[in-house]
Amino acid sequence: MTASASPLLSLQGVTKRFGGVTAFADVTFDVDAGDVLGVIGPNGAGKTTLLNCISGVYRLDGGDITFNGQRLSGRPPHEVARLGVGRTFQVVKPFTSMTVRENAAVGALFGSSEARMPTGRAFAYADEVLELVGLAPKRMSPVGSLTVPDRKRLEVARALCTKPRLLLLDEVMAGLNAVEVDEALEMVRRVQKSGVTIMLIEHVMRVIVGVCTRALVLHLGRVLAMGEPQEVLRDQRVIEAYLGQEYARRQARHRRE
Amino acid sequence: MTTAEPGTQAPEGSFSVVTRASQRRERILFIAAGVALLILVLVPLTSLDAAQSAGLPLLADRYWFRIATTILMFVIVAGAWNIIGGLTGYPAFGNVVFFGVGAYTVGTLVTKANLPYALALPAGVLVAAAGAALIGLPLLRLRGHYFAVASLGVAVATGEVINNLQFFGGASGIFMPIIRSDLLFYFLMLGGAVGTVAITWAVLHSRFGFGLIAIREDEAAAAVIGVNTTLYKVAAYMLSAALTGFAGAVYAEWNVFIDQSTAFNLDISIDSILMALIGGIGTLFGPLIGAAVLEYLIQSFAGGGSLAAYTQVGLGVLLTVAVIFLPRGIVDFFGGRSSFSLRYLRRTMRETGV
Repeated sequence: MTASASPLLSLQGVTKRFGGVTAFADVTFDVDAGDVLGVIGPNGAGKTTLLNCISGVYRLDGGDITFNGQRLSGRPPHEVARLGVGRTFQVVKPFTSMTVRENAAVGALFGSSEARMPTGRAFAYADEVLELVGLAPKRMSPVGSLTVPDRKRLEVARALCTKPRLLLLDEVMAGLNAVEVDEALEMVRRVQKSGVTIMLIEHVMRVIVGVCTRALVLHLGRVLAMGEPQEVLRDQRVIEAYLGQEYARRQARHRRE
Repeated sequence: MTTAEPGTQAPEGSFSVVTRASQRRERILFIAAGVALLILVLVPLTSLDAAQSAGLPLLADRYWFRIATTILMFVIVAGAWNIIGGLTGYPAFGNVVFFGVGAYTVGTLVTKANLPYALALPAGVLVAAAGAALIGLPLLRLRGHYFAVASLGVAVATGEVINNLQFFGGASGIFMPIIRSDLLFYFLMLGGAVGTVAITWAVLHSRFGFGLIAIREDEAAAAVIGVNTTLYKVAAYMLSAALTGFAGAVYAEWNVFIDQSTAFNLDISIDSILMALIGGIGTLFGPLIGAAVLEYLIQSFAGGGSLAAYTQVGLGVLLTVAVIFLPRGIVDFFGGRSSFSLRYLRRTMRETGV
């Protein structure tokens, strides 16, 4: 990680409050181009809220977000997408009356200023992206017939079709079994190789160690640690705040069964 | 990732919101619509003096014109509702406000400013569209039932305000200078109906249409892939209003007299929604078929004088049956996935039931 070039995404003292509740305060970090940043932290730490702030779904209560030299804060979601930030939702949001292919093509019809293709090209590009995420055989299927892992793939495909420079993935591996997680990891690697910078929220440690070049731990609305994934996972504060709890929960579950 | 070359796509790559099965059905409907249009253009011509003196049978009398023009008016209004309610997913219950605004704009401009009807008509369309932009910006922030009730409220309130303003004729309404021509109003409504279907087709096959359907399916997802949701919703509302306003502007001169109970008649809103519902919401030909079927039934029942009271009862029963057995509309029943079998009925009950 060289600090020579300016970062692709930069958060400076970002604060978000809901009424009297502070979701997070004074969050500051950078994401360099080419990085895969894993965001981890206990439930309620503010991970999804952070993504919502970057993608323009929420307005900030303080601080500044810049992307590629332009301010993101204060822009509505479609303008953020236009600048080249794609995202998925934790609870998938497919366009249910459309086929898999049409879902992906909508991303290419709109999306970043580099996407926005004419209709014929949008479908050709959708096919290409569906190949990349492994959904090509099901491209003519209605969304309703897809399995959970396929719906998550479609969510990624639609976001990729917008030709983002930065892709925000919100728990795309949650609910997948071990084999499916491996496939999803392979997919993330392929996306990274195609030149897209990724910021992902995950609870599966294998993902953080497997694909991430950096890891960030959010705890009680503050950045607890950030750095190399292995280093971060050995951090005593991280074990106490996050990994330990998870471990204890898993132990308790074993005892019950 | 490299950019895809054009021409590498499969033949089924035609851009359309509809699926392949419905594309085949749409082709059949296009042919049927073409034949129907030819008949609708030729039949009224038999009423011309030249045709009569040439010994052609009179296929279109005054009663025929009355019913045909009314049906075509509802094709426009139901098709216009389909753009905001069917494609965009915003259940506008008060679209009649644009009908009234179109009618009153024409009425005011013709009687107060002595503008010729040919100039007042497009003005009515423009004022209706502008009105949609004005009330759409605040109203389209609401969704579902909230939007439905708010749009209904605006329609009722606008009608009441106009009813109480002497400038607009107050409770005694506006009388228009009479234009005696069945053919003129018939062909204006026919042109509007063809225009409504053509515009809907163009929208369905454009980026704009895909954006509207994305908004209907999931507005948050549409926004983060780059759809300017506010702009698209307001544009769809304005388009819907412009078409509805056209129908109202033609109606004002055709009917010669307008007041609150005719120009802001809530039945127009309710009927047009039912027509789209019965024909097939969100489809190209659904509102057209629904308008033709429902308005024909209304007209033929109501023609029976004392039987008119039972019309409403009959319609109520018909609607209940239609909603239960044809939840996707008539268009889907003929040649679509629907069929009159127990299996289909069970499936739709399961999919559309609570």
